[in-house]
Amino acid sequence: MAFMKRRQKTAFEGGGLVLFSEVTDAMRAEKALSKAGYTLKLVAPPPHLRKGCDLALEINLVEKPGIERVLEERDVNYVSVTPLKAGTSRLLEFATVTDFGKWVMVKSANMKLTFDKETGTIVNTSGGGCPDIPFLHSELIDKPLNRAPRPRDIGFTLCALMLDNALDESITIYQGEKEP
Amino acid sequence: MMLIAGTIPNKDLPLTLGEVRSDGELLIADGQRIPCTQGTGAMISAALTTTEYLNLEAPRVLVAGDTGQGKGSREIYRYLIDNIAELSPEVLALHYCLPDMALTRQLCQAAGKCAKRPLLIADAASMYAAKAAGLAPEFDIFTPDAAEIAFLADAEATHPAYINRHLFETNIARTPGLVSAAYRNNGAAHLLLVKGATDYIINDGDIMATVTEPDVPVMEAIGGTGDTITGLVTAFTFAGLEPHRAATIAARANRMAGELARPTPATRVSEIIARFPAVFRNYLCQWSGVCPT
Repeated sequence: MAFMKRRQKTAFEGGGLVLFSEVTDAMRAEKALSKAGYTLKLVAPPPHLRKGCDLALEINLVEKPGIERVLEERDVNYVSVTPLKAGTSRLLEFATVTDFGKWVMVKSANMKLTFDKETGTIVNTSGGGCPDIPFLHSELIDKPLNRAPRPRDIGFTLCALMLDNALDESITIYQGEKEP
Repeated sequence: MMLIAGTIPNKDLPLTLGEVRSDGELLIADGQRIPCTQGTGAMISAALTTTEYLNLEAPRVLVAGDTGQGKGSREIYRYLIDNIAELSPEVLALHYCLPDMALTRQLCQAAGKCAKRPLLIADAASMYAAKAAGLAPEFDIFTPDAAEIAFLADAEATHPAYINRHLFETNIARTPGLVSAAYRNNGAAHLLLVKGATDYIINDGDIMATVTEPDVPVMEAIGGTGDTITGLVTAFTFAGLEPHRAATIAARANRMAGELARPTPATRVSEIIARFPAVFRNYLCQWSGVCPT
């Protein structure tokens, strides 16, 4: 489409912070993440989140898994990636299980993964709403649980992270370490 | 005009605007091929099946390729911000996009400049962004599932991954309590269609209807069956139904199509969508008074 109009610069509202213990790490992280295409902003962290460094990076919190992957690949030290809003609950690491007889559905937050109990094949994924989810759906379906690509490795968002939690729990159940 | 905006899991798909048509198992818009799979593709397919049955103008779609890095999502937001007043759709449905609070805020402002404000529907991460930015009351319809209504009810959460554990564990029977919290915290659109074992249709805090039959529990496992409900709601509002009636009929039609497909958890959403014409033929005129012309 050749009809994009010139627009004003957008204010950024990310909802998340990357915290550092050293200013140099914050500067390196900004460079690495900007190069990788992420929208972000250097900010002063609020007092309740300060970890010894006067600089933090405001990020789109939904992009936490992709951002952590870039920082780890580039060997950039950071303390944590955290929600900006005080009072936000911890990241859910909890799953619920529904037994459909021949199949088991594992649900983690907004994501669900269903596998065949006998073969360990992933037969469906559902839920979520981030743009990597339909991509992950096509990448995971019909794959054995233990040979499927990990959503945390090829996805970019919190939805992908929740799907990864569901996959983890599914593998544990399939290996008989936990009753469905 | 009905306009559906969302990403497609194909990196190479450019920003594309056009009226959509079906071609076998694919959707075609402005010469671009869109797969009918979980996500925006399933939603568009359900809306298109409805408009075809009712002999209405086909949906226009604004889609772009995005597998999670957000580039296509931002192209969609920015195109809408710049052009929504000119497009002036009657119904605008936002679907799978990387949630961006600032761009969602700008889009709501731009929608307010339309000659007639469009009916605004959001599902998937577009709903997450609207809620996280405190813009939920600007929207006419949200279509959350059970985990997502817990997210809308949690005043602090900016994504369902951060909902309070006790809200996540809440049974569907407690949905009315979560709904009340969502409205109290400005986390709800005017109308909510909460999808679950019981579908709740709620208008500004009042339960207008519940739908429980037919009961097809395995549909929860099938990727895209929530997307199809949103597509149906969008098309039924475009056909002129009041939002609460559109939502109620969408919930019933989706369940009925599920039952006809005799699904297992391994069923693909395209098999459910293929049953909509039969459901419409048998029930739609009777349920809604909206009949093909």
